[in-house]
Amino acid sequence: MIDRVRQVVDRALSIALVVIMAALVLDVLWQVFTRFVLRNPSSYTEELARYLMIWVGLLGAAYAAGKHMHLSVDLLRLEGRLHLAHKLVVYGFTVLFAIGPLVVGGGRLVWTMLYLGQTSAALTIPLGYLYLAVPISGLLITFYAACDISEALRTRER
Amino acid sequence: MELLDIFVLACSFVVLLALGVPIAYSIGLATVATMLLSISATPALTTEAQRIATGLDSFALLAIPFFILAGQIMNRGGIARRLIDFAKALLGMLPGGLAHVNILASMLFGAISGSAVAAASAVGGVMAPQMEREGYDVDYGAAVNITAATTGLLIPPSNILIVYSLASGGVSIAALFLAGYLPGILVGSMLMVVAGIMAVRRGYANRGRSSLAQVLRRFTDAVPSLTLLIVVMGGIVAGFFTATEAAAVAVLYALILALLYREITLKDLPQVFLDASATTAVVLLLVGTSVGMSWIMAYVNIPQALTESLVALTDNELVILLIINGILLSVGTFMDITPAVLIFTPIFLPIAIELGIDPTHFGIIMVLNLCVGLCTPPVGSVLFVGVGVAETSIAQVVRPLMPLFITMILALLIVTYVPQLSLWLPEVFLD
Repeated sequence: MIDRVRQVVDRALSIALVVIMAALVLDVLWQVFTRFVLRNPSSYTEELARYLMIWVGLLGAAYAAGKHMHLSVDLLRLEGRLHLAHKLVVYGFTVLFAIGPLVVGGGRLVWTMLYLGQTSAALTIPLGYLYLAVPISGLLITFYAACDISEALRTRER
Repeated sequence: MELLDIFVLACSFVVLLALGVPIAYSIGLATVATMLLSISATPALTTEAQRIATGLDSFALLAIPFFILAGQIMNRGGIARRLIDFAKALLGMLPGGLAHVNILASMLFGAISGSAVAAASAVGGVMAPQMEREGYDVDYGAAVNITAATTGLLIPPSNILIVYSLASGGVSIAALFLAGYLPGILVGSMLMVVAGIMAVRRGYANRGRSSLAQVLRRFTDAVPSLTLLIVVMGGIVAGFFTATEAAAVAVLYALILALLYREITLKDLPQVFLDASATTAVVLLLVGTSVGMSWIMAYVNIPQALTESLVALTDNELVILLIINGILLSVGTFMDITPAVLIFTPIFLPIAIELGIDPTHFGIIMVLNLCVGLCTPPVGSVLFVGVGVAETSIAQVVRPLMPLFITMILALLIVTYVPQLSLWLPEVFLD
């Protein structure tokens, strides 16, 4: 069951990343085009690019977490039950990072920004929506860690 | 400076790293733990979230995903292979020919893609089987490929020099890029000499000399790929566009070239974009959390304290540079290059400036220094990739790596103590 959900989340996240990345490239190429060809530089492309990058960085970080791509030090090599315990400790700290600064801190950040009603300079987007990428990324990392924990426990039972 | 803060920061970070918690999470958690000593929980977590998000909010940083994307397109689009063929026609007849080919191709490809990891996998992936076929030891080939890949971080365009520009508070990217050429070529040529000597000792055969016609044909094949370098660097140095815009143009150029070569179809693009965004995100999360850690370090006055104690120790510029290099070399063994640059630039750059060292020169010293760390265990992203594509193990590569490490450190000393090597080109082109 949880594996099915994981596949769906993977798929949705992949599509979002591809779309944002493509939008980023087009946005900056448009910036170059308006400056050199139309000689009338666009006023919003730079801001849009910066904001899209925040989203690609944070959603991508969650995707990379699901694929175990984040760099880590590989010193401890344990066997059997200790190996399982070690894995669970690492996933535990992963969840701590995802829930603490990302979900709680990020959620609080979104709430504050929306409460203050701050908007961006060129696009006048409420900044709260921009920072929504932080708690969403945290939730997704937590989800992937939960999947990994359940898988680790299942392989042990077998 | 509060000793307790430093103690908590260092201990929590090292313990988390040693446990095998991913580096980005370790940096974030250690930062929050240190914040909790002086700030209560909710504002600490909110501040950390804000540092991570605003750390990514930079147009200059955007060059990184674009160069990564361009690199992936070139890797799959047959561009890496054409550069290798060109290098082979040029250098194949030297003793240990394939090692020289690997180094030159890494310099060219690393220069175009801006990433050492991409160079290690693209060039190493092609070279490792060829070397094996011609009787080269797999571990020797992997060692050459791993060290050579780092030259791509010095020879522009280079993602890590963009990160340094950001961390230093705005040292010119164009100046840094120009400054990287000669040190990068120096490292590459020194590696060639040593790899050549090792090859002779191991009795590896050289290949026959290529005819002039062959060299010319390979060169013609490689011209469209090499033109990319001129477009990107020419555009940046002449001030036509920013590094970020140049990188976006590089993506477009590489894409058109790969489609013309018919090695990539439009159907492959989503996968290429997805891989690039995941690779990018790994770097960006490190950037965000490192910006947070750098902030808390400044908050508890670590940079000032370190400056004072270093300057109190000696006022000899040469000695201080040696000490800084020593610290960075050890940092580089367990920390990836991106967080190391972001965290240690604000600490060491003020010292360097106080001693009269040019910030551009200092950036090159730092990057070359940390490049050594990319090839050393326990954390060495280039080492991991290089060992992976050659299908060998870290333990086996370490022996042939040793002479090449020593060569890199020798090059580091030369680059450190001969500032003209870094500063001559920027002076010629930018003043």
